[in-house]
Formats: sequence, C-alpha cells, structure tokens
Amino acid sequence: MKFDIVGKNIIRTDAYSKVTGKALYPQDIYMDNMVYGKTLRSKLPHAYIDIDTSEAEKIEGVIKIFTYKDVPNNSHGVVFKDHEVFCEKKVRRIGDPIAFVVGETEEVCKLALDKIKVDYKELEGVFDPEIAMDENSPKVHGDSNIVYHFKIRKGDIEEGFKNSYVIAENTYKTHMVEHAFLQPEAGVSLIDEEGRVTVMVATQYPHYDREEVASALNIKEEEVRIVNTNIGGAFGGREDISLQIHLALAAYTLKRPVKVVYSREESFIAHAKRHPMIMKCKTGADKDGKLLAMEAEIIGDTGAYASWAPNVLRKAGVHITGPYYIPNVVVDSYAVYTNNPFAGAMRGFGATQVPIAHEQQMDILAEKLGMDPISIRMINIFKQGSVTATGQVLTESVPVEACIKEVVKRMDLFGEEGHNEETW
Amino acid sequence: MKKRGRGIGVSFYGTGYGNGFPDVSKAKVVLHDEGKVGIYVGGTEVGQGAKTALLQIGAETLSISLEQILFISEDTSLMPDSGTAAASRQTYNTGNAVKKACENFKDRLIDIAKEELELNSTHGLKVEKGEIYLEFFPDKRISFKELVDKYGDGTIQGEGEFIAQTVEMDPETGQGAPYWPYTFNACGVELEVDTLTGQVEILDAVFAQDAGKAINPHLVEGQMDGGFAMALGYALFEDLKLDKGRIKSNKFSRYLIPTAMDMIDVKNIIVEDPESTAPYGAKGIGEPVMIPIAPAILNAIYDATGVRIKELPVTPEKLRKALDEANGGGGSD
Repeated sequence: MKFDIVGKNIIRTDAYSKVTGKALYPQDIYMDNMVYGKTLRSKLPHAYIDIDTSEAEKIEGVIKIFTYKDVPNNSHGVVFKDHEVFCEKKVRRIGDPIAFVVGETEEVCKLALDKIKVDYKELEGVFDPEIAMDENSPKVHGDSNIVYHFKIRKGDIEEGFKNSYVIAENTYKTHMVEHAFLQPEAGVSLIDEEGRVTVMVATQYPHYDREEVASALNIKEEEVRIVNTNIGGAFGGREDISLQIHLALAAYTLKRPVKVVYSREESFIAHAKRHPMIMKCKTGADKDGKLLAMEAEIIGDTGAYASWAPNVLRKAGVHITGPYYIPNVVVDSYAVYTNNPFAGAMRGFGATQVPIAHEQQMDILAEKLGMDPISIRMINIFKQGSVTATGQVLTESVPVEACIKEVVKRMDLFGEEGHNEETW
Repeated sequence: MKKRGRGIGVSFYGTGYGNGFPDVSKAKVVLHDEGKVGIYVGGTEVGQGAKTALLQIGAETLSISLEQILFISEDTSLMPDSGTAAASRQTYNTGNAVKKACENFKDRLIDIAKEELELNSTHGLKVEKGEIYLEFFPDKRISFKELVDKYGDGTIQGEGEFIAQTVEMDPETGQGAPYWPYTFNACGVELEVDTLTGQVEILDAVFAQDAGKAINPHLVEGQMDGGFAMALGYALFEDLKLDKGRIKSNKFSRYLIPTAMDMIDVKNIIVEDPESTAPYGAKGIGEPVMIPIAPAILNAIYDATGVRIKELPVTPEKLRKALDEANGGGGSD
C-alpha cells in the first residue's frame, strides 16, 4: 500500500516551540491575583498523626491551610481508592500529603509549613515485601498486605521438569527507580469565565484527572476543566493524581488562581516509582534446547499504595515466559503493600522487569547445553500461530524472528561460535 | 584489565489496558471556517510524538495537507475522552479512533456533496485535497470552504470510536487473551568491563524494533534511542538508595541518570509487519523500546567476565565485588 503522509518523517508539530523555548509549561503560567500553594508531607513512613495548624494560620500572608477536614471526598486512586487527598489518621510512607498551605507568596507558605505541628505516634513499618506477606507483619492497609495474586496454570509442570534434560533455577531482583522526567510537577488552578474549576497541569490523562477532581470536590464533571499544558516527559509518572486535587480544592474554595511548583526533591517523593520485583524462576529444556517447563514466582513491592499494582503484576506474570513457547507453565505473581514509596506505572509496566530473569535463564540454559544464545532462542521463539502461556493465539504481525536475525546479521553476534543454521 | 563481551535481549510486549477492561478511544472531526478541519482527540502529547503521529493518520485518511488540520488535544471541555497516554496505546487505539472519525467525516461530506452537486448517488465521489469531486467527471466538485461557507462553522462533523479486543483471564488458570496487539524486539550489545573499577562501557548496540508499520520512522528511532538510554540507567546507574522507606538519592547529584557522554550511536532497525486491526498497520512502541536492553547488557557482562549479576543495578561497586568473589576474594585480576 502506498501512502502520502503515513511513513514520512514529518517534523514533529511541537518541535519548533520546544526548541525555541516558546512551549508553555505550568511553571511558566502567571495570572493576576494569583496565590501560591505548598504541601506538607509526612516525615515518617508509618505513624498515626495529629495535626495542629493554629500557629501557622497566624502568619501574615497565609490565606488558608487545607487538611482532610476540607475535602468532601478524601479518597482517590487509579484502581483502588486507597490514597487520601490529605492523610487523616495515619501516614503510610514518607512524603504522604498531610496539609496544603495557600499564601500570598511561596516564602510565606514555606514559613507556615514549619509552623504546622504534626504529632507523630510512630508505628512499626514494613519495608521488605517478603516479610510484608507474612500475616504477622505490620499492616499498611486493612487485614493483609497482599494486594493481588495472579496465577497461570498451563499443562503439567511436574511432567515438564521430569522430561527436562537441563534445569536453571535462579532468583533475580530488580530495584525501585524513578521516572526522572525533565519537568517536575507544577500546575495552576482557577475558576474560568464559565465558572468551571480549571486546572492547568501536565498530565497523561486529563479526563481521568477531571473525574478525580470532580469526585473529591463532590461536583459534576462538567464543572471541572483540565487543560493540559506542554508536558516535560511522563513515562507513567503522571498517571496518578499528584497536585491536581490540591489545586482544584484551593481555587474552588478561595476563588483565586493558585499555583504550585514542586522542587526536584519533592517530585522524587510525590509520584510513583517502578515496582521492585523478586523473581524466582525455574526453567527446564530438553537436550535440543526446547523449553519444556517454567515455574515462576514474582513478588512486586507496590509500597504504601496500590496505584496500578494489580495491572503491573498481571503484566509481569503474563510476560515472564518471554517471547517463547513453553507448554507447561506455573506463574504466581503477587503485589504487596509496604511502607516504601508507592510504585505505579513506569515505561514497560511490569514487562520491563521480567526479561532480567527470562533472558538470563535462556543464556544459562544454553550454556548448560553447550548451545549458543541465538540458537536456543530461535528454537523456542514465537511465530505466527504460536500460543502464549495464557492460551492466546498470535495470529499475525509476529516478526520477532526477523528482529533477532537483523541483530545477528549486523553484529555478527556469536558468529565465531557458529550457529546451527538448520534450527533457524 | 578490560574484558569485552556481547549479549542479546529479546522481548514481547502486550499493548493496551488489557484483560477485558474496556479500552476505548474517541475522536471527533469538525469542518471549520476557511475549510480547515479540526481533529479533536484526548490523546496526550507527553513527548512521545502522539500529536504528530495522530495528525499524520488524520491527514492520510482525509487526503489533505497537514496545514489544513487544526489538532486539539489539550482541553477536556473541547475534546472527547481517548483514554490515557500509557500502555503504548495511543498510536494503535487512538490512531484507530482518529481514522474512523475521519472516515465518518468523509462519508458525511460525500452525502452533503451529493445534494449540493445535484447528483443521484454518492458513487464515484472522492474526497481529496480539500475538495469533494466526481472522479469520472471532475467538473462536478465542491470545496470544503464552499461547504463551510454555506453550512456554517462547526456544523459538519464526524465521530469515531475504537474499542480494543481482549479477553479477561481466568482467575485460577490465567487462560485468556490479555493484550492485543503484541510488539516484539531484539537488542544486541557489545561492552567492555574494567575489572579494576567495575565500570561498564557500552561499545556497540544493534536494536531491531517491530513497529507494525512506522507512521513516522524518525519518531520511532527517537523512541528507540530514548528507551535505550533509560534502560542503560536502569541497568547500570540509577539507584534511589532506599533506607527504611526513605529515598536517599532524591536529586540528580545523587541519582545518576545517563548523560550524552554515556550514550552511544545505537544502530536502530525498524522491522515492519503490518497489523491488520491497526491504523495503517501501526502498533505501539513507546514502552517496548526500553525492555530488551537491560537483559542484553547483563548477558554481555557475563560473556565478558563469567560473572552473572542477578540483581540490579550493576553499579561499579557491585560488579567489582562480584568479580572479587568470583576470583576467590582476591584481587580483581
């Protein structure tokens, strides 16, 4: 098929404004009569709290200090509504929002943050997801720290390992990382000419923000307007609510434009992180390198809040086989609460962690069999018509063999060891 | 001592919300003054190039120039909900919605043109370059501008909706069709390990990424470079240094991400195998481009040193320690 515009290297429409510095980010917005906001955050990972804002309110220039008492509906969250707009009784991580100071200047807000008294009654925290799974460990929410358990049961795993000539059994661990987008969170809220609470913010999903703002303020979605500015990177870190509700609540209450800009340090503790995962993998293959069985347990630390944890650990569980046909598969994937920073969406969403395990398993099996890393992959790789561990048929557009061949060709990868050309 | 090694990483990635959850994208196309066409869609530009790719899909479908299109994707009071800019879903899901909206808009234009041109049927009417005309008698033609002048700004519209197909997995067996479509890739890296310092230097990389069909090849290559850099940081540098829930590396002087000095000129190869349910065959690549790199690096470190690192990140300290242990706790060489 011949196209006129599809397939052409059109210069991106936002390129000119971005490279010339003309693109507008929320940090760049100034409005008449505008006031500023700053967030008071938890200093402890697990504690009961009692807040006293009376001293801070006396500071000249402080307009209002918002706490849980001011929010009509204090909960939000992308899957479970386990986040509080402002913590009421308990903080569950360092960085949990407790109060939001609005003042005439940023300096006044900073002074007020220091004058808010938070009485912490520290609770024992849990920071290791394997310990958190124990029923006797401290609970972050409710009765259990296990948020989600995903299972795959396919074929006969015992039989698969019994028939295996080689088995690789290893535990892999990945760590918690940060999106490190260029532009820290910022936003400006106001009441627009039609009376709508308007939040100008850099967000991945403006309609979701509208839904959460309307829900928190207990008003109709039509009364809320989200305007997306230019966005300085996201990578999943702008999916959960950060400052949108704080801003909307302040503008809605005070009827003045309100601006918030997070510092880099605040950005680090404000948004989600990538789930650290512990991946225990047992993979078996026959003498020819054909995969016969995989047993995997994945434990993902979602920190203090669920965010996308069920979806992330589900995606990890589905993808831990790698792009290979395996007839017998058992997967158990768990998402677990701890008092660590909360984990959520980040580029790859659980599928980025699991190849750390499955791709090393492939090389380990190849070495045990005296094969090269390419040949063992080619024997097992998904093709058109292959069936995944969840029973899904890959009916079309499965060019993974072609991808491997391109890499091998251009790098002469493992050429010196010689591939068994007949296998692919 | 410096040791060289090579490794490969291969991955697949299911795009979209998945698991039977309704994954809906909507778009609206409106005829405006001067014959300009407004595409209204909630597909967020986070830097990945959604605005440009969706614009190209719209222009291709409407057979008009990019300059004739107004693209509105910022304000919830103006645009329909097209889902989140996540799950590598905007090109496939919202691209499909834009294509459908443009097709419906064209059908609407053809219906109106039939009346305006006093024809008996819509057969043979074509929409191209801002005009509707009868292919075998091109004197019968009317422009977008003439139509909007007569009908008024905003009155001629087309809408489009796309819902992806997935099947919820069984809670006990995990059997189901959790994602569609899947995107594939492979990456090979060559690197050098300094056994004295534990530092890893990437020397060469070949990265092949399936895109279905690349709507804009330079944007795909940009994503591949960005994904490579992000994965390089994930594998070798980035560490929040968590201590009892506290992030100790909370600024860029402590939390090290790759710089231009760490990046190499990756040999990017776009592999095309169009997907029939996708707009012009295009699948999402925004997340997949980061996935195979870290495992390729780990496999190459093993190839170089004979030491298998099973825990990220592979900082110089960690690698040096592992090398020492492999050598019986003695010196590095």
